[in-house]
Amino acid sequence: MRLLINIAIAIAVALIVGFGSAALVLDRERLFGAVTRGAWTAWPDTGSPDADPYTEAMLARTGEVPLGAGEGLAFSADADSAGARLRGECTYRVTGQTPPARLWTLTVYDADGHLMDNPANRTAFHSREVLRHEDGSFTVAVSRSAQPGNWLPVTTPDAIRLILRLYDTPLAGGSRIGAVVMPAIEKVGCP
Amino acid sequence: MIRTLFYVLGGVLLGGIIHIAIILLLPDFANRDAWTSLGRFGPDGAFHRLPMSEPGTEPLPYLDPQMAYAACRFSLDDGPIRIKAAMPEDFWSIAVFNRRGSNVYSLNDRSAERADIDLVIATPVQMAQLRENPIAALDQSIVIEVPVTRGFALIRSFVADPTLVGRAEALLGAADCSAELPSADAPPAVDPGDEKR
Repeated sequence: MRLLINIAIAIAVALIVGFGSAALVLDRERLFGAVTRGAWTAWPDTGSPDADPYTEAMLARTGEVPLGAGEGLAFSADADSAGARLRGECTYRVTGQTPPARLWTLTVYDADGHLMDNPANRTAFHSREVLRHEDGSFTVAVSRSAQPGNWLPVTTPDAIRLILRLYDTPLAGGSRIGAVVMPAIEKVGCP
Repeated sequence: MIRTLFYVLGGVLLGGIIHIAIILLLPDFANRDAWTSLGRFGPDGAFHRLPMSEPGTEPLPYLDPQMAYAACRFSLDDGPIRIKAAMPEDFWSIAVFNRRGSNVYSLNDRSAERADIDLVIATPVQMAQLRENPIAALDQSIVIEVPVTRGFALIRSFVADPTLVGRAEALLGAADCSAELPSADAPPAVDPGDEKR
């Protein structure tokens, strides 16, 4: 009887530890190989054959298709440059320069990773259509209310995520990501 | 009491093994992964255009809405496959993933140094056969060796503005995932009676 109880305890512990830790790890952001520059984080190994098993498992769970190293590199931001969580009810300015790339796109997603339907019919900006300052830098306003210049509309008051995808960039594929300058994400105001 | 503690310790160790097993096996059993999702768009062995990513109709999570996509699930069991596609002048890229959704190869228009896609995908064994019996018709193709037998290829084509969607979709719709591949088994011109077309 004692033995049975002990075995039952061992099995229960094993199941809780095994499934619990796996779920815990997979629900968080990807653990390994993160490269953070300013407010932005990229996982360069995700798009290479060297992706770690946790990344593979996470991709399989979400159904995402990563950018291959020969295609480009995606940076995502969940927080502004001051470290505060990005929220749709606030207005942000994404401003500055991007690292060298032949083409880049800036897209905004809601907390579930979906694009947001909006009257302006805009979910992204790309490098060729964005209005620039005289020095070549740009400012994109991320806001629920219409903004002058480059306006990237959001419709949710909750968490949002910005993804900056650099296509055909020397940053992807092997070479180490050095001290690249990413655009700053400044909070303009919250209601 | 001390004995129960040993069982708890054993349980923790077993839990670690379960953890590793889940992480390693999940990509093969997930039902929402990219491989499974792409199966919805049509049969294997052919490219299927994915609908443009618009709010509410994203074919896969976190796709760039500025790109048009076509995907092909392939199998190398019956020999190497050849992908042919005419592409627009602007940025495009193609990536090859294994069944587990990991990227094994990728290429963009500039690194391809050509305006169209002509890609032959082979397993290491098939690659060795190709080297032994080179096929002249594949001189111009990019031949890659991937350590997979099943996987999918995904073409991305940049759409600078909505008026160009039609053209990108037409080109992607014509992409061929099972283009003719001259047989490597039959060396050419062995049979003199074989009529050349």
